[in-house]
Amino acid sequence: MTGLPLRLRLRRALLVALILGLWAPAKIVWELRIARAQNQLRYQGVTLTRQLRDQLGQGLSIGVLSGMGNVVADLVWLEVTIAWENQEWFRMGGLINLCTALQPRFITYWDMGAWQLAWNASVAATKDLSLPNPLRREKASRFWINQGLAIYKRGIENNPESWRLWADTGLLYEQRLGDYRTAAYYYGEAAKRPNCLTFYERFPAIMYGLAGDDWNSYEAWKALWERLTPAQRAEPRHEGDRIEKEIRHFEQKLSIPTEKRVFPN
Amino acid sequence: METPAINALAVETIGLTKRYPLTWKRKVLVALDHLDLQIRPGEVFGLLGPNGSGKSTTLKMLLGLVVPNEGVARIFGLPPDSLAARRRVGFLPENPYFYSFLNGDETLRFYGKLCGVTGTALEKRIEELIDLVGLQNGRERPLRSYSKGMLQRIGLAQALIHDPDLLFLDEPTAGVDPLGSAQIRDLILRLKKMGKTVVFSSHLLEQVQEVADRVAIFSLGKKILEGSLDLLLTESRDTQVQIPGELDSVRQEQVCRLLGQAGIDPAGVRFSRPRLSLEQLYLRTVQTQPGVSLRDSQPRP
Amino acid sequence: MITSLHRIMVIGRNTLTEAVRRKVLNVLLVFALALVASSVLVSQLATPDLDNAGLFDPQIKFVKDFGCGAIGLFGFAIALLSTAQLIPDELEKRTIYTILAKPVRRSEFLLGKFLGIVFLVVLAVALMSIAFSLSLYWQEVRAMAYADSIYDVGFSNFPEVVDKVHRYEAEEAQIQARGGDAAMQTQAIRALDEKYRREEAGGGAAKNSVEEETNWERSKDTVEAYDRDVRQIHDQIRDPQLIEAILLIFAKLIMSAGIALFISTFATSSIFTIVTTFLIYLIGHLESVARDVWLQRGAEVTIWQSGLLGLLSLLIPDMNSFTIVDEILAGNHVPWTHTFDLLGYAGVYLVVLLAVSIVIFDYREI
Repeated sequence: MTGLPLRLRLRRALLVALILGLWAPAKIVWELRIARAQNQLRYQGVTLTRQLRDQLGQGLSIGVLSGMGNVVADLVWLEVTIAWENQEWFRMGGLINLCTALQPRFITYWDMGAWQLAWNASVAATKDLSLPNPLRREKASRFWINQGLAIYKRGIENNPESWRLWADTGLLYEQRLGDYRTAAYYYGEAAKRPNCLTFYERFPAIMYGLAGDDWNSYEAWKALWERLTPAQRAEPRHEGDRIEKEIRHFEQKLSIPTEKRVFPN
Repeated sequence: METPAINALAVETIGLTKRYPLTWKRKVLVALDHLDLQIRPGEVFGLLGPNGSGKSTTLKMLLGLVVPNEGVARIFGLPPDSLAARRRVGFLPENPYFYSFLNGDETLRFYGKLCGVTGTALEKRIEELIDLVGLQNGRERPLRSYSKGMLQRIGLAQALIHDPDLLFLDEPTAGVDPLGSAQIRDLILRLKKMGKTVVFSSHLLEQVQEVADRVAIFSLGKKILEGSLDLLLTESRDTQVQIPGELDSVRQEQVCRLLGQAGIDPAGVRFSRPRLSLEQLYLRTVQTQPGVSLRDSQPRP
Repeated sequence: MITSLHRIMVIGRNTLTEAVRRKVLNVLLVFALALVASSVLVSQLATPDLDNAGLFDPQIKFVKDFGCGAIGLFGFAIALLSTAQLIPDELEKRTIYTILAKPVRRSEFLLGKFLGIVFLVVLAVALMSIAFSLSLYWQEVRAMAYADSIYDVGFSNFPEVVDKVHRYEAEEAQIQARGGDAAMQTQAIRALDEKYRREEAGGGAAKNSVEEETNWERSKDTVEAYDRDVRQIHDQIRDPQLIEAILLIFAKLIMSAGIALFISTFATSSIFTIVTTFLIYLIGHLESVARDVWLQRGAEVTIWQSGLLGLLSLLIPDMNSFTIVDEILAGNHVPWTHTFDLLGYAGVYLVVLLAVSIVIFDYREI
């Protein structure tokens, strides 16, 4: 029941249209700028795909939609723990994928998830007596290692600046696959990332040594020595002593000509 | 903003109209139909009429709460919805429309601040008004515990908090006991003596009669009648003579003969005993009782 | 101007008083406090015992997520419910007549009422944040106790060992700070190491030097790992970025209140306001998707769909951009400039909502 005179109704509509009309384009521009900044922070948020919606069910989907996606991820992670305790490896794998899909920027989901598969599930497979022969068990074990590896790699794609993921992938290659050369590559990448623990810088050289590749090991030690400033070499955490020892050892072993040695005497 | 003329009318409306479209009946309700009204400063003006006759619509438009479809309204020459006009107007609503979680003091402080009264001036004014309306007992209690009479009092107090020149009182004595009504009536007369203009609507016609200078009678959105009470109520054809003492039938005949000599037809003469109004009797009775003072009516439990 | 602001403030304080004196909101708040505290208990279920870098991560993240989630949820309920009944209450109880009969502008009235709600939300968020801080502190105490329990294996007096290693590290840092010749530095550090190794062996108890060395090296390594974990716990719990997170949650709440106010200026019932605002809130999380589809104008989208998407994008706020709070809670860095950008967006959006609300309310028949 509006007895408002027509001229006032028109004036009201005009003012509202004017205010919204001025704001709408500015709003879009501002939103695009925010979206760009968030892309640079590598934050994509969660898009509720049909698959995700099916996996989560209606209640949790509304949770994600109302901005509580991180709590939903936490609740799903609780299930991961339960699945591990019940040794339900396939279910656990599915839940880990769900968690990482919900919150791809939380390192621990990738890290612990991959570890659960490549170590726990994999080792459990070797003890799984339901499989008839050792070869089968080995194959199952390998399967889980590869699952874990896939997770590490996707994790690195989403979080390329995380030293932990690079380092733990290196560890997987080293300990579970015995592939020291690839491990060396991953450890090297980890060492380049911000906040990486100092001792990782020595691992590539050590890995090449374990692989029996003296030449690459020597090159790695030499490159490290040259990267460090004299002040850094004196710091205990960089273990300048040890680097020198290794370089001398290899220069001796590989018979490097005196003029090309780092430590000629 | 218009500059008000020196002797501006307190209230002036010219052709004031308000229509509400009733969309489901495809008709238009004319709440107020071309009202022309003039109220002079210092008058006590009564608005009378049945419910739905346009009184409250008029009041709302004069307070700037509702926009007219046609016509003009002015308060002291100013538009009613202007701050300047509203600064000079006080309003006592019909059912007191206040925040029930505040107590008496807080209510007055709140409305006072909204009117621009602050600091010690405000505190002083609150004391004056509490005294004036007789609410010393209830000032610390929340309004939700007030009786109807107490709500009317606080209503009056908040209407007066900023010392307005013009007061709109909507049913000021509805639901109040006769003692309280009398006090409110006295207050209205006192305000008039202070030079304020009072416009009030009421269904209690006896009370209107006692206080108002002029009235207007509304019906179905139109103003039917307007004028001073003296002019409207006086049965212009007859004259009353009041004689002290009782007259028996013999003396009555003597008077009739005397009147006949003055050229008055004795057949049209009536003798009757003047009557008190019930209110006068009640007040006289109640007030002479010991222990009851004029301002001290206890709030109902 | 000043008197106008004064009137707005008077109405604002009055609205806050009313909201606080209503018992309903107190109950909601108690619920919220209980929920935040219980998150710490629930987090105990989150992870089994593992000694692994990132051990404490999921637990701490859970506490942070749950706490901030509760603040967001209950804050939203408080903001929405109290804003939705602002105007209907005034109209129903007719208290608005008394106020507008005074020299108060309608816009001042509306802004004053909204200011009261802002005060209320600030108060609610502040109280819940305090509860949240307490739950974080409790979680830190638990995590530290757990760290102590896994690292002190094999040490009779672990705190003493930690202390000793820290002293060594302090002296080592001093030597390095003095600068000078690198060789002399190395020598000085070696001597220091030697001194501490002898001490480690204990006063006089004759042990062979290999064991001495092992004990000291083990002490240093253990304490180093322990310190790393402790630092990680501290970084995650005492994260100054959590203030950014709370501010962003607060901005989202105030925007929701603004939307509720806008709807209530023309709505006929508070239920309508509540339902509509909630729907806009949900749709707001999809606005970025709608915007992208609309701007790219894919071939699969009809003109009607495009129009609808366009309308959504132009009017509905992008609520999903505030979900960057998740990023902060997961421990990733979000610069303050970005937070200010988002806060600015919310602020301007709010001003627009208030302006439109004032226009509509100015002409509303009461």
